[in-house]
Parts: sequence; C-alpha cells; structure tokens
Amino acid sequence: MGSDSLEISINVIKMILIFLMMVQAVPILVWLERRGSAFIQNRLGPNRVGPLGLVQLLADAVKFLQKEEFIPAKGIRVLYYAAPVIALVPATLAFLAIPIGAPMSLEAFELFGSEWGPYRFALQGYEVGVGIVFVLGVSSLAAYAVLLAGWGSGNKYSILGALRASSQMISYELALGLSIVGVILLYGSFNFSDMILAQQGPLAIKAFGRELVIGWLPNWGIFFQPLGAILFFAATFAESNRLPFDLPEGEAELVAGFHVEYGGFKMLLFFIGEYGHMMVASGLMATFYFGGYQVPFMSPDQVLAWVSTWAPGANSAAVISSLLHHVVFLVKIAVFLWIFIHVRWTLPRFRYDQLMDLGWKTMLPWALANTILTAIVIAVAAS
Amino acid sequence: MLSTDWLINIGLNHYLVLSALLFATGMAGVLLRRNAIVIFMSIELMLNAVNISFVAFSKYGNLIEGQIMVFFVMTIAAAEAAVGLALLVSIFKRFKEVNIRYFEHLRG
Amino acid sequence: MNATSGVLMTDAFLFWFLAIVTLVSALSVILMVNPLFSALSLVMSMVGVAALFVTMQAYFLAGVQLIVYAGAVMVLFVMVLMLFDLNLEKKAFSRGPGSSFLKIASVGLFAGLLIGGVVFSELMTAENAETTATLAKTDGTRALGRLLFEQYLWGFEVLGVLLLVVAIGAVALSRSKGGTHAKH
Repeated sequence: MGSDSLEISINVIKMILIFLMMVQAVPILVWLERRGSAFIQNRLGPNRVGPLGLVQLLADAVKFLQKEEFIPAKGIRVLYYAAPVIALVPATLAFLAIPIGAPMSLEAFELFGSEWGPYRFALQGYEVGVGIVFVLGVSSLAAYAVLLAGWGSGNKYSILGALRASSQMISYELALGLSIVGVILLYGSFNFSDMILAQQGPLAIKAFGRELVIGWLPNWGIFFQPLGAILFFAATFAESNRLPFDLPEGEAELVAGFHVEYGGFKMLLFFIGEYGHMMVASGLMATFYFGGYQVPFMSPDQVLAWVSTWAPGANSAAVISSLLHHVVFLVKIAVFLWIFIHVRWTLPRFRYDQLMDLGWKTMLPWALANTILTAIVIAVAAS
Repeated sequence: MLSTDWLINIGLNHYLVLSALLFATGMAGVLLRRNAIVIFMSIELMLNAVNISFVAFSKYGNLIEGQIMVFFVMTIAAAEAAVGLALLVSIFKRFKEVNIRYFEHLRG
Repeated sequence: MNATSGVLMTDAFLFWFLAIVTLVSALSVILMVNPLFSALSLVMSMVGVAALFVTMQAYFLAGVQLIVYAGAVMVLFVMVLMLFDLNLEKKAFSRGPGSSFLKIASVGLFAGLLIGGVVFSELMTAENAETTATLAKTDGTRALGRLLFEQYLWGFEVLGVLLLVVAIGAVALSRSKGGTHAKH
C-alpha cells in the first residue's frame, strides 16, 4: 500500500475515486442510453429537465430515494436485501483492477515542510499480478446476485428469470475465458500492464526470426486476435445481461425477470451493477485489443518526453502525461459503451434455447478453435 | 509456555491446524446431516480443507508440486460435483425426497 | 526492523481474520437448517479459502479457486437447490437424544484425533526457515504450467478425458426421453 503516510493516503483516495468514477458514470450512461435510443428510434429523449435533459438522472435518483421500502410477503429478508449489494461488488472489484492511465513516477518533492520521497503511482485501484484470472474470478461471482434476487423475492417469475439468467451467465463465462486464453498466449503474461505495454508503437509482426513492421497500423491486439475479440465482446454482452442476451430481464415475457419485486434504490443498485459490468467489459476490450490507455503509435515514454518539453517541472509533466493517457482511455471505453447501447436498440432478443445453443454450440467451439490456432501460430512463428 | 509467538509468526502449523479443523467440520457434516445435498457440500468442504494443506506444504517446503496436486483435486472435485448433482436430480425426480433416511435400505 | 514487524503484524492479522471467517462459514454449512443458507455459507468459506491461497502466495490457484469452485460449482449447487421443493427439516441432526449423543461423540473423537495429531507432530520442531519470496508473482505460474505440461502431462490428459466422460455422463443421466426437442 505504500511506505509512508502520504503514499498510503493517496492510494486509498485513489481507490475511492475510481470507485466513485464507476458509480458516477452510471447517470451519464443512462442519459446517453435514453437520448441515444431516442435518436435511433426517431424521437426525442428526456429534454425537459435541464439542458438536453442532463439533469433527468438526478431527478430520477431523488425520486428513487423517496420510494417506499417494501419486501414481498413471501420474500426471504436476508437474500432480498443482500442481492443488490452482491450485484454491485463484483463489477467494482473488477473495475478497480484495470489500469486506467499510465503510471506516474514522481521524484522527491517538498510539501508541508518535509521531504517526500520518489513515488510511483499506478492508476489502478490495486495492482494484481494475475490480473486476468482475478477479474474472471470475481465476475463469475455476479451470478449469485441474480440467483439470490430471484429466490429472495418469493415470486415464480423471479425464480424463472433468475435460473435462466444464471445459467446464461455461467454458459458464456466459458466462451469469455477461452477467448482470453488467446490473449494470454499472445502476450505471455496475466498482468494488464504487461499487456498494455506490449501494444506500443506501430504494428510489428515477429515471425521466423524476422520482423515485419507496418507503419500505418498501431500495434494493437485486435490485429493479432480478431476472432478472439469478436467472441470476447459478444460474451461480455451475455455476462452483463444486455440485449440481445436480455432474456433475464425480458420485459414482455417475464415482467422484468429477477428484479420484478425490486423498486426504488435497490433496483438502481442492480442497474449500477449492470452498467458496471459494461464498463469493465469496455475496459477489458480496450486493454486486450486496443492498446489500453496508450495513444496509438506513441509509447508512454514518448508522450512523457513530449509533455516534458512544455510542462513546468518533471513532476507536473508526469501528472499531465498520466492524465492525458487517462483521457485516451476514457475515449476508448466511451466508444465501446456507445457500441453496447447501439446494439441494444438494434438487435432483437434471443429466445432461451437459441441463446444456449449459441453459447455452447457456436461460441465455445469457435473459442477453442481460436485458442488452438493461436497456439499453433505462435509455436510455428517462434521457431 | 505463555509466549505469544504463535500469535504473530504464522507458520506451517497454523495452516495445518486450520485445514484439520475444516476437514473435521466437513466430516461432521457428512456423518451428522441427513439432507443429501448438505452431505455433498460437506464433501466439497473436506476437499477444500485438503487443498489448503497442499498449498501450505508447497509454500513452506519450497516445492511447487503441491500446487499441481491442488489442480488435480479441484478438477476432480468439480467433475464429481457435476455427476453427483445429476444423480441427485434423478433421485429427486423419482422419489420426491432427498432425505437419506428414506434410502437406508438397499431396495429400489 | 519496524517495517518487518509491520509486515508480520499485517500477515498475522490477515491470517487470523481469514481463518475465523472460513471456520465460521464452514460451521454454518453444517449447522444451518435451510440448505440454501448452507450453500451460501459454503460459498463464503470458499472465498475465504481463495483469500488464504493469496496469503500463501499461490495467486493463480486463488483465481482458479474463485472461477471454478465459487463461481461455477457452487452456482450449480444453488441452482439445483432452487429446483427442488425442499421442506425444511425440523431437526437437522438426528432422531433422538441417544443417537445424537452417539453421533456427536464419535465425530468429536475423530476430530480430536485428527487435530491432536497435527498439533503435536514432529513438524513443530522441523520447520525450515522459509523465504517469503519463494514463489514470485507470475514466475510461479510459469513454473506451474511448465511442470504440469512436462512432468505431469499424462495426468493432465487423463484429467481431460475424465472431464469429457463426466460431461457426457451428466447429460446422459439427466436427459428426458427423446431429448429436449422431442414431441411427447
């Protein structure tokens, strides 16, 4: 956590800030969803509260906070109240492990009359050596929120929706994990920072002892793993219960599925969890296949050198360079979040047996084929 | 005798005692409970306890083979859980009961 | 000196906290009447075991424990429990005071033998001084993978065949007559 009090306090504040960032992104995302869906459907979204309807979510939050606290008569109290919290925790834990900006290396400086040593802050909640395995592990715990919500509501429709949702989630975790294995084989490491730093500069293919450099494409993972990227992205739709894998919350069929008996703030917590999963999925897409927080074609050191030419002092150069990388990361995940929203309002929902067929009979074999192909190509090209 | 060294220095024995306690708890569950699913869960608990002791030996004995053993144990436990649950579902469909009191006699 | 004692204190605190959480959850597994709460307590103890793996620097195994055990096997348990219609058992243990005393006494004897054997064994004196950086963060995984695929390849392949057999067997055990798309 750090060796002296300033470092420890900055690390703790950083964790809280990243958590708050994830929670605060939800109103923005909901606004984007409502206006974006209205644009796709040729109507206006919320436009009365505040300019362009931006304050609509604040008004909704206030409304939700004032709703009545109730529990269905046949509900189980412990499970009913625990499920929304369990929906929030895995997405938070996973998001805190993803690097959202370049690490800052600060030299010794003077503050409040004493000298604070050289620091290195990584812009993550916490650094995990086995990053991917940890993120996969905690995302798989999200199935419990759905199951407990369904059972704790004491409602037949909730239970049906919960069983469907959880079986969907555990089925698509397989395709998710297997498509990630291709990335692990490619970069030879579980660590997110290693993967991001391996995607620097222009596209460089190393095969048979020679290197082919294509100068007009960045060295992103998607050019090495196109099939894996598509499979991963599709599997994350199923993990966060987004359309077209929306059956658990199918409005017309199951009357909002496993969260039918939830109202007010508890339902908001479910939605924060769902959007949190979307943000984790977008962050992982950017990290694995699109270079993470890096500016395309430039490595973080080159950016730091460029910033140092016009920044006053080495420490402020490090801070500005990190923030610049953070903005690049935000732009990348904004693109993926818009794709999530766009797909939601474009594709119709899958039926349950179509969904399970797709997960087990199509995506799992393709993910296995991708893994085998990647392994063969790497083994042949490294000789 | 009254030194509190064992409170601060965590050694192999701590993990082994923990593993033994978990194993004993799982064993108690298998022998005492009568719901077949809870018996299954106690078996999983015993397997977890054994995993802890394998990893503890791997760390304190500087051998990595302990972790290999944990791989095998985990895989087999998952496979056994799948088959056991499939069997339980078949039993429930046939007899509408999972209390082992009804299955004490070897007659169909 | 201060730094090392600080590290020891945090290690000790982590171990005791995780050990107590895991033990309490494990006891809840066997003591709760509602089997669904037993399953959820087992999930908690598995998460505790994963955290204990982290304290023993087996990071990859901790992740695999979360993915496989807590994230898939226990979800299966909970789903199967929800498919059953379970009347809560009034007495979770046994059918009378005599037999219950016998059962608890025998379990207590077994458990005492087991724990006593561990505590008073020779291991107490034969502990070698371990270094905390024995298995580095990702190099441990690399060594693990190398060992698994070089020395224990046979066992690994047998495990794969076992999983295949189990998957087919589970489907065969629980299929309805004619399969899911059959017309009855």
